[in-house]
Amino acid sequence: MMKNPYLPLPMKLVKNFTETEDKLIHTFTLQFLSEEDEKSFPYMPGQFAELCVFGKGEAPFGIASSPTEPGFLKFSVAKVGTVSTALHMMEEGSIVGVRGPLGNYYPVDQFKGKNVVIIGGGFAFTTLRSLATYMMHPDRRGDFGKITVIYGARNPGLLLYKDELAAWEASPDIDLITTVDREAEGWNGRVGFIPAVTGEVAPSAENAHAIICGPPVMIKFTMPVLEKLGFTPETTIMSLENRMKCGIGMCGRCNVGGKYVCKDGPIFTRAQLNELPNEY
Amino acid sequence: MIVSKKDIPNLLDKMIAEYEVIAPVKKDNFTVFKPVASGTDAVVGEGNTKLPAKELFFPQSEKLFSYSVTEEGTKLEAPMDDKKKVLFGVRPCDARSLKLLDNVFDNDKFQDPYYLTRRENTVMVGIGCNSPASTCFCTSVNSGPFDTSGLDLLLVDTGDAYVVELITEKGKALADQAGLTAASDADKTAAAAAKEAAVVTCQVNTDGLKAKLDVNFYDPIWERIHEKCLGCGACTYLCPTCHCFDIVDDAVDCTGCRVRNWDSCAFPLFTLHGSGHNPRTSNKERYRNRIMHKFKYFVDNFNEIGCVGCGRCIKNCPVNMDIRVVLENIRGSEARLDS
Amino acid sequence: MQAIAAQVKEAAKKLLEDKKVDLVVGFAEGSLPLRGTPFFARTPEEANQLTWNRGCENNLANFLRKREGKVAVVAKGCDVRSIVALTKENQIDRDNLYIIGVPCDGMVDRKKVGKLLGGKEVLEVVDQGDTIVLKGNGFAETAKLADLLHNSCIDCRYGNPVVYDELIGTLMPEKAEEDFAEIKAFEAKTTAERRAFMTEEFSKCIRCYACRNACPMCYCTECFVDCSQPEWIGKSAANVQDNILFQAVRVFHSAGRCADCGACERACPMGINLRLLTRKLVKDVKVLFNAEAGVSMDDKAAMATFAADDPEPFLVKE
Repeated sequence: MMKNPYLPLPMKLVKNFTETEDKLIHTFTLQFLSEEDEKSFPYMPGQFAELCVFGKGEAPFGIASSPTEPGFLKFSVAKVGTVSTALHMMEEGSIVGVRGPLGNYYPVDQFKGKNVVIIGGGFAFTTLRSLATYMMHPDRRGDFGKITVIYGARNPGLLLYKDELAAWEASPDIDLITTVDREAEGWNGRVGFIPAVTGEVAPSAENAHAIICGPPVMIKFTMPVLEKLGFTPETTIMSLENRMKCGIGMCGRCNVGGKYVCKDGPIFTRAQLNELPNEY
Repeated sequence: MIVSKKDIPNLLDKMIAEYEVIAPVKKDNFTVFKPVASGTDAVVGEGNTKLPAKELFFPQSEKLFSYSVTEEGTKLEAPMDDKKKVLFGVRPCDARSLKLLDNVFDNDKFQDPYYLTRRENTVMVGIGCNSPASTCFCTSVNSGPFDTSGLDLLLVDTGDAYVVELITEKGKALADQAGLTAASDADKTAAAAAKEAAVVTCQVNTDGLKAKLDVNFYDPIWERIHEKCLGCGACTYLCPTCHCFDIVDDAVDCTGCRVRNWDSCAFPLFTLHGSGHNPRTSNKERYRNRIMHKFKYFVDNFNEIGCVGCGRCIKNCPVNMDIRVVLENIRGSEARLDS
Repeated sequence: MQAIAAQVKEAAKKLLEDKKVDLVVGFAEGSLPLRGTPFFARTPEEANQLTWNRGCENNLANFLRKREGKVAVVAKGCDVRSIVALTKENQIDRDNLYIIGVPCDGMVDRKKVGKLLGGKEVLEVVDQGDTIVLKGNGFAETAKLADLLHNSCIDCRYGNPVVYDELIGTLMPEKAEEDFAEIKAFEAKTTAERRAFMTEEFSKCIRCYACRNACPMCYCTECFVDCSQPEWIGKSAANVQDNILFQAVRVFHSAGRCADCGACERACPMGINLRLLTRKLVKDVKVLFNAEAGVSMDDKAAMATFAADDPEPFLVKE
């Protein structure tokens, strides 16, 4: 009997946490109902899943937790459509469907012995959190060189995972630079847009990979900075978002050229994207 | 083997006892595939059905599963249509389209159990085309009026009878079961002659088309090509190889079902992001995608052209957007490598 | 027809040569017999491809909304009515539109041809005026033009363009008032009969929205059927009630705006009798408000005006 890729795995919503000050992003912690269920969901940083609110429908979201965090999955979801709005209103203890893991993942094997620069903007930080957490796990930390994270939001209230950022700040395992677009009360950190801050921090491209995720305008202006720093199309990695439904390369809507973002992506190198039309 | 035309209803009745038999039936001005209760309902040997054979394996609207979330737990039930079926009287182009769709629904990473279960349980009995229509261009897309690539049995019309060619073991088993008699040498000669006589008059030159599409994504020609297209979904829904779909919930509270419906790359909402951004903003991008998908992306991914030349889009387009003309225009255009 | 085609070509060429317009929207020879196809001519050379025949059935007003620059259109009576209606809705700037009017006594319905020939394929057509010769593999049949025209053309009383900047051909004599016989017959049926008819008809619908997209008056940025928040209507074609609801809302939305051009019905690949619904509303608007869409530049659209003495039989006993 072949596996039915359309059937969701029922999971228990154990935490519905309001992540940002504007209340538009919630982080959902979902617990596997059994060990068997958990085994059926082996995933890697960068993959996504279809979250399903029974009665409303399903929508794709990047997995924010790391496989090194057993027992649960985490998703940070902005309130935009029917499904995300329904999710935001869900009570803890409810059942949510999860279909996945879907898509490819950050090429962590290629990162071994390399320095890794993670650049994120706004609420696109979810799978980057997964990646950083994965690499910082004590069993794995030794596999990678220097880990630099540059993370920015419009204002301090919109930064995700504030407690963890504070812990990273204090950790010798990771070099964290957070920034906000404008001066804000109570903010003592950096002020400036991601492209400028990336230029100031100037992470070395020597033996390094850069992973960048964020709004299109941020990507657009950060790309030339990375190029100047010496990151090549092969060592610059992005995660794409396109409207998706099936998540398994059949329903036809998320294609960029001949590639399906859901099945062949969402992680692409700049070099791969240079070969494709700009339909994203 | 051979079966006389007047014995076809009997033959079908025999099959109906064992299988769900699907055959073309009359509906208004055209024919459609429907399960038949009696062999006499089938109209075998007319031109292509209005809707392609894909709907029998990938229905326009299909329940993926039903669900209920209650105190007792979560219940999911996926119906699987594993009835033994015979698709009788399908044209080679439609049969071939399923071979193409197999690539999509059984891809390098996932299998679609709904489609594949039906495929596995269906015996494909095709009928060759002695007189292809003027809109048929199967021979231009690596097929032909007697193409057996998607078939288990092929019927060749020799006038009063059909000579039955055994293509696969599955087909042979069905033919044996139905007790078909052997064809004489004369019958075989007649079948060969019928094949010889069938001419697909319409040719679409696809030489160099793929090479052109490889480089012309940004070519200004797309500005003109789509111009009269209304952006409706008629061509995509009637196309045997178009496979786009949407997934929606039909539910009250937490009890209901998840359904998939055909969708079309011609519709603006198809690619619209939650943010309001749309990677395919206008009809130009959407029409380009349809052509690219069939004649470039499909070739890149599966080494096959994603079109079987059935001509349905040509006959049914409200504004006479003729894919043959479109392809010719693209092929003849000056592709700009630099643009 | 050939003479008209030549004059259309000349008129378009001249407009483009004199740079009076940037674009002429008309018809070119289609790829199938009895088929004209919308064509966009931007140079005098391209204007050579323009033509006029019995297959110029599309309503070209559909291509004229919110156009940039000066545009000319080759328009039959129904196209012009839609142009007038669209102008009143601010979708067309009349000052930037040059109308090459062509009086039209009807276009050929290929479905009727198919029926007449019992499914045999037409490969060549000879237009002989009142008769048409249909030729195919091993046959040639002569048919009366009148038997092959679209029903919308038979019912049409506005074959003569009501507005134009230039006229090609000659104006035709006026036709008698239409009697809406088939609508009256439909109204006379019982509710159950009407429901049964509608259910049968709309079980054919595949929701390709060709009807909507072919209609010059259907131009909502987001059609209610596409809207997902809230979801007004189910998206599945399997639910006949939803198919009927879609068409009912569409038809009501075009009440007083529909020129009864029949573009919706012609576009339908499944052969659904859509004009029965559109014409019901055409009749109602005519009976209730004595109004017809797009027949004059001066009056206001029926549904865009309120008069104290508007009949309200659903509300007030008169």
